[in-house]
Amino acid sequence: MRINRRDFLKWSVAAVAALKLEMDMDKLNTVMAADTDPPVIWLLGSGCSGCSISTLNVTNPTTIEDVLQNKISMKYDSTLMAGAGENAMQALENAANQYNGQFILVIEGAIPGGASKNNCIIGEQNGVPLTMYDAVLKYGPKAKYVVAAGTCASFGGVAAAAPNSTGCVTVKSLLSGKTAKPVVNLAGCPVNATVMVQTLLDLILTGVPSLDSYSRPSKYFSTTVHSVCPRRETEEVSQPGIYGCYEEIGCKGPGNLSPCPSLKWNNRQGWCVQSNYPCIGCTSPAFPLNPVISVSSHD
Amino acid sequence: MSTIKLDPVTRLEGHLKVEVTLDANNAVASATVAGMLFRDFENMLLSRPPRDAAFLTQRICGVCPVPQAVASSKAVEKITGFKPNLQGLMLRNLIQGANFLDSGITHFYHLSLLDYIQGPQMSPWTGGYTQDLRFSAADTQTLTNHYLSALQIRRKANEMAAIFSGKLPHAANIVPGGVTALPSATEITNFRNYLNDIQSFISSTYQSDVNMLASAYSDYYNVGTGYGNLITFGVFDTNTSGGLLFPAGTVTGGTVGTFNEANIKEYNKYSYYSSPSGQAPASGTTTASYGKSGAYTWLKSPRYNNTPFEAGPLARVWVSGDYRNGVSVMDRHMARYVEMAKLVSNMQTWLDQLTPGASGFTNIGDPASGSASGLTEAPRGAIGHWLSVSSSKISKYQIITPTCWNASPMDDSGNPGPVEKALIGTQVADPAQPVELLRIVHSFDPCTGCSVHVMSPDGVEMSKFVVQPLGK
Ligand code: SF4
Ligand code: SF4
Repeated sequence: MRINRRDFLKWSVAAVAALKLEMDMDKLNTVMAADTDPPVIWLLGSGCSGCSISTLNVTNPTTIEDVLQNKISMKYDSTLMAGAGENAMQALENAANQYNGQFILVIEGAIPGGASKNNCIIGEQNGVPLTMYDAVLKYGPKAKYVVAAGTCASFGGVAAAAPNSTGCVTVKSLLSGKTAKPVVNLAGCPVNATVMVQTLLDLILTGVPSLDSYSRPSKYFSTTVHSVCPRRETEEVSQPGIYGCYEEIGCKGPGNLSPCPSLKWNNRQGWCVQSNYPCIGCTSPAFPLNPVISVSSHD
Repeated sequence: MSTIKLDPVTRLEGHLKVEVTLDANNAVASATVAGMLFRDFENMLLSRPPRDAAFLTQRICGVCPVPQAVASSKAVEKITGFKPNLQGLMLRNLIQGANFLDSGITHFYHLSLLDYIQGPQMSPWTGGYTQDLRFSAADTQTLTNHYLSALQIRRKANEMAAIFSGKLPHAANIVPGGVTALPSATEITNFRNYLNDIQSFISSTYQSDVNMLASAYSDYYNVGTGYGNLITFGVFDTNTSGGLLFPAGTVTGGTVGTFNEANIKEYNKYSYYSSPSGQAPASGTTTASYGKSGAYTWLKSPRYNNTPFEAGPLARVWVSGDYRNGVSVMDRHMARYVEMAKLVSNMQTWLDQLTPGASGFTNIGDPASGSASGLTEAPRGAIGHWLSVSSSKISKYQIITPTCWNASPMDDSGNPGPVEKALIGTQVADPAQPVELLRIVHSFDPCTGCSVHVMSPDGVEMSKFVVQPLGK
């Protein structure tokens, strides 16, 4: 699918607007002002903001934009929002209360738990530091849907890599039994923008999509990278940086479920194998292995 | 004395808290800046193959992953005595340069501008301060429109990088040995088309906007001045014999000095760590100790010659001689523009130096042992990785990121960090809307995801690994 500027508009107030309505603020205001729409609250835990950045880079959501127009607005996103300090924390609290049971909670990054809850503090409410751990417990049950954006939030990822001294847990484990609907895991390091945005649209339109055993939407995570890799029939090579198939040097493509060869990255400008390096399996629950790739790792 | 607490400081990467006390005239008497996220990267790198660090350290920061991969790769290459060929260096320059352009545009328009204008009155642009807004309605509209078009430009900079890097954030192929892309003539043309778009945005829109900001807020050439000490490790290879577009150096009292890595030490009296303070990064360790008495942040205090230094675009362009006006909020914005204009035109030159289809990668494998540093620059300043390898595995890894320099706490001698120092003395017109503080903090472009790190507790580390003596 080619870049569709209209599509982006449907999702994030911030990112969206530019792509369609650069010079048309009146229309932007009309489109995005509807305050009755279920909003998105986006919280960042122990992560790198890569999923936020990746999402800003989106160019290819699905084609259901007309239905979704006016359906979403970004009420809390610490990367983009104008408010700071108390104003920001109030915006979070107000949105969660006003839209109790209706909003989509997106969580980026894993969540330091146990004795390490204080390793991630997202702000202060009424003079009391709010840990990411407590924020997820506070707002998760109020959300209509909870989305774990990226491999850290979904499976722990790099944030929880051994020895995980910060005690990072996943969204799903922390909110087990506490959410209205199953947590949707959008794996990827970072999450692919199309997977992220399309899933938000799916949630609004039709509810929780069909999920695999790892709670990932099946439509993106039922095919291995390898099964649709354009290099399947090419000669196996013994080092990266040479055109060919990287199975011999531990490419994770054969065991890794991810839509990369078909969706690609950054407005279809590339993906890992296209840049002559093996897939390192970044959508897998086991990511990152030690070593990240090894010849025997998918035997 | 009254207190202002900003937690969180939004519009930056990570979790940052600022607290200041005001004197009777509402001038900042003291300031603390605190990183509120701790991730333990250096520990997770232990026992891994050195080549993995380029991938894992990129995950420190989704805003500037590329410089982490470059610093890490350079450290491994230095141990093995290898230097990538010109093709590899140019590919790195182009990918890292694209990341600079993306980050710079994002910083000016999306992270800073809302401190000076009111955006559209809908979330997430509501809730900002309304204090000291000086632009006319028409100029505000123009800047808001540019805020929006800049979202496209920053996205395009990411797409441009992905042509050679596979993807961003988190490049797929910047590794010890070079860059594995084999750029085709078509890809080079594609890259150039993107570059032309971005270059014209920078030379037209960005230039006029930053000038407009500087003239409306010219008093900000005297705000957030801080120590005036600047440091840069140098970045962007211009040839295979060590030439750099922005050379390494320091600035003290306006005078450029030579940079010497041996002068760096890290302190942690006011950080949540109990490990020894005042170590050189190559021998530093870190033991987490949240709640340590007197400590207030997860950031440590890197110091150069025991003195706080500020890192960032201003340091780079001052040392290179491209911009030498002053050190302040507005100088930081101007410097970033000056640097990006120079960078984008040099990227055209580097693109010309690519040979279609040629390899910029040599398979150097993992070094068996040794220690080395990999120094480069992220958009927000000097970044260094210090690596030791033993039995082909990482036995020690220390990282000093730009925000460690800038947003560090007081050092053991009680000198505030550069951002803290820049806040002190600032007049706050309305303590209920302390926009002056946000403007100062944002001018440093802090990023706390990158700035917090730790090694394993010493005993654990030493019992598992033998750290090799320094040497090649
Ligand atoms: S490069 Fe990897 S994903 Fe592609 S065919 Fe080879 S093994 Fe499969
Ligand atoms: S190709 Fe593999 S490593 Fe690359 S983004 Fe896709 S799943 Fe992740």
